[in-house]
Amino acid sequence: MLQTGTAKKVTIFINEDTQHHFGSLYDAILQFLLRKGVAGATATRAMAGFGAHQAMHTTRIEVLAEHLPIRIEFIDSAAKVDALMPALHDLVTDGVIEVQDTNVVKVASRDRPSPPVEPHFEMRGSGRLMRIYMGESDRWQGAPLYEAIVDRLRVLEIAGATVYRGILGYGVKGHTHKSGRLPFSRDLPIMISVVDSEEKLAKAITEIESMIQDGIIVLSDVDMIRLVRSRPEPEPESSHADR
Amino acid sequence: MRTAKKAQLLRLHFAESDEYHGKPLYEAIVQRAKELGIAGATVFRGLEGFGETAELHRRRVTKKDQPVVVTIVDTAENLARLVPEVRAMMGTGMIATSEVDCIRIENPPPGGVPSP
Repeated sequence: MLQTGTAKKVTIFINEDTQHHFGSLYDAILQFLLRKGVAGATATRAMAGFGAHQAMHTTRIEVLAEHLPIRIEFIDSAAKVDALMPALHDLVTDGVIEVQDTNVVKVASRDRPSPPVEPHFEMRGSGRLMRIYMGESDRWQGAPLYEAIVDRLRVLEIAGATVYRGILGYGVKGHTHKSGRLPFSRDLPIMISVVDSEEKLAKAITEIESMIQDGIIVLSDVDMIRLVRSRPEPEPESSHADR
Repeated sequence: MRTAKKAQLLRLHFAESDEYHGKPLYEAIVQRAKELGIAGATVFRGLEGFGETAELHRRRVTKKDQPVVVTIVDTAENLARLVPEVRAMMGTGMIATSEVDCIRIENPPPGGVPSP
C-alpha cells in the first residue's frame, strides 16, 4: 500500500508495437509491475511523438498508427523502485526510463481492506465415488428426482453432489433418452456424481433407494483431496479408545 | 429391491464433431452398444477440453466441437466384446476402464405394493 509523503515516480516511454516474448512490451511491463505488488501503474497511448530513432509516430498517417508512443507511469517508495529497477532495465529494450522524486498527497481507496485470505487446508484420504443414473423425466413426489436426491444428500451432510445431463443414452429400461423436438418432451439421461467416505455413501444409498423406481448406482474407489477454507471440525474420538 | 454385483465402467473420450459413416460418432457407438446387448450407455457433453493434438475443443459459432464422454457400465465380458469394435470406430480419443460396484435398484411404481 502506498503511503503519503515522499516517493519516486517512474515514467517509461516505449513504442506500442515493441515486442517482448511474442506479446507487447507494455503489457509485459504492466504484468511485471502487478506481479511485484506495485501500488498502481498506468499506460497511456500518446497522440504523436518521436524518439531516439528520429521518426515521427502519429495517428494521422495510417501505416504509423500502430507505432504510437506508450507512456507507463507508476509511483512507489524509493526502496521498492530501486529494487525493481534492474529488472525494468532489462525489460525495456528500446525506450527511455525516467525516475523523479514526487510527493504523494493523498491515497484513497474506496474498497475496505479485504480480510487476509487464509490458506486452504488439504484433506486427503481414500473415498468412494458414487454415480447415480436416471432419466430427466423421473419424478419423486412431484419434483424432479435428481433435485429430490440432491436435497436428500444435503440433509445427510454428504460432501457434495453434481448433476450432469447427458445428450444421449439408453439404459435397463431399453428406451433411448434423446432430446425431443419440443423442449418439454425431452427425457435426457441424468447422472449425479457424489464423492464421500464409504460409510456415508452406504447410508445415503439406503436413504435414496426408496426414491428411485428403476436406476443404476455405480461405486468406485477413489483417492480424494479436498481443499477447504474452513478448518475442519475435529472428528469425535473413536469409540475403541478406552474400551 | 437392490441387486449388487461387480462390474466395469468404460469411458470413451472424443470430440462431438467426430463422425462415423456420416453420423455423429457418439450416436454410432450408442447404437452399436445397444445392438451388442450392452446394459446401458450415456453420452455427456463437456464444456471445454483438449486431447492428443492439444487443440481446444469448445463451442464455436460455426460448429459444435465440444468434448464428449460416453460412459458404459457392464460386466467385463460384455465390455470385452464392445471395446474392439469401438476401437475400430474411433479416430483419436481415449478409452478408460475402471472396476466398480454396480447396484441396480428396482422399485414397484407408486401405488403398487411396497417391497418389504
